[in-house]
Amino acid sequence: MIDKPVANPLIVLREEFDDWAILFDPDTGNAFGLNPTGVFVWKLLDGGHSLDDISTKLRESAEAVPEEVKDHLREFVQDLEKQGLVGFEAAL
Amino acid sequence: MNQTEREQNSPPVEANRERSTPAYPLNCIYFYLTEGCNLCCRHCWIQPKFQNGERVFPSLEVDLFKSIIAQAKPLGLGSVKLTGGEPLLHPQIADLLDHIREENLRLTIETNGVLCTPALARQIASCVNPFVSVSIDGADGETHDWVRGVAGSFGQAMDGARNLVGAGIHPQIIMTIMRRNSDQIEDVVRLAEGLQANSVKFNIVQPTARGEKMHEAGDTLTIEELIEIGRWVESELAAKTHLRLHYSHPSAFRPMSKMFGERGDGCGVCGILGILGVLGNGSYALCGIGETVPELVFGHAAEDRLADIWEDSSVLKELREGLPHRIEGICSDCVMRGICLGSCVAQNYYSTRNLWAGYWFCEAAKKKGLFPSTRLEGGRRINRKEARLSL
Repeated sequence: MIDKPVANPLIVLREEFDDWAILFDPDTGNAFGLNPTGVFVWKLLDGGHSLDDISTKLRESAEAVPEEVKDHLREFVQDLEKQGLVGFEAAL
Repeated sequence: MNQTEREQNSPPVEANRERSTPAYPLNCIYFYLTEGCNLCCRHCWIQPKFQNGERVFPSLEVDLFKSIIAQAKPLGLGSVKLTGGEPLLHPQIADLLDHIREENLRLTIETNGVLCTPALARQIASCVNPFVSVSIDGADGETHDWVRGVAGSFGQAMDGARNLVGAGIHPQIIMTIMRRNSDQIEDVVRLAEGLQANSVKFNIVQPTARGEKMHEAGDTLTIEELIEIGRWVESELAAKTHLRLHYSHPSAFRPMSKMFGERGDGCGVCGILGILGVLGNGSYALCGIGETVPELVFGHAAEDRLADIWEDSSVLKELREGLPHRIEGICSDCVMRGICLGSCVAQNYYSTRNLWAGYWFCEAAKKKGLFPSTRLEGGRRINRKEARLSL
């Protein structure tokens, strides 16, 4: 099962004053906006956390986390993958 | 959650004239309908002739207008913007609006509001998704009329805005900020609330045409003031009104949350690659800059096929090939360049005669050490190292 996403180490996270951030790809010049929840998730994309793990941490850290949080997470990570911002490590 | 939004300008579809979809769709035409204007604004970047009733200046012929639209639709046209001069000064404005409605084109109008009668407002309202902005440059007549150069224009603009609301259109109020009116920003927001406007946009005086003279005379604000007002508008004033506020500083200065948050108004991808200007005399141009920069006029609607202009203009082709990677100056080091595209190519060219010059606002901020460091590529080495350590 492949479900532990890992952030592309070449991508730069630029955190800003309002807790939003920019993901910047120095190779392509592409930039992406990330809201505070996205920043929280991005920091957990270390190849050691599954989507279940991240869902749990989100529920522990945030209020009003929707029931379908895991679907949102999967969609988010798929978006990141399409942009070349994350890859996956196989869970053992 | 929608945590990410792509900010990079979408790459064009592959160029192929035989395909039904043009390589670069002509999304919108900006019609600068009249060579004259009924006001004489101190900051105007078009600098039209003052038309006070004694003399009438040319305006775009209706047949030419219709011909341009007929040629533009196969190129992708979905919307038109009517501006000026003053679009409602056009002697056949009613005919033009009828045609826009019949062609099912989305309509945007930038007006000073003075000539917006109830009947005209209703006609505008009958078009597809009309969006109208009315310029109000002060919270009182004395200030507004000083900016606009004509006594009584404040009351007339207010009446015009009310007529739009009466017809069901809640206009955007546009205020251009300068030294004379910068202490009235919040008052203009309150005035807009009272008018039942839908939003307020704050423009910055561009150093073009009359605006250039204002910059030279010190009638505009310093870069420090402009940046601070932008921060205040977006972070503090916006929290004190139900209206959407848009401050027209470059995207490098806009908080991400103002672009993508719940009350965000988009990342503001520059539309330059999908826009063409038509001047009051029927000329095709990059935009209204053609009024003051002849080399940015590409041809004339009475003589040239629009498709030829759109597909073969050397300037347009150069821009398509060069944006954003050829942009120079501070813009070449900005992570937002893919959406901002240099903020205003026309302005940049006017100031430097170089299509690829950096935007004056950002250059001035850089000189003062005020350009946001998180938006600069140059800082990436440190951040990249940090990112690696954290993984």
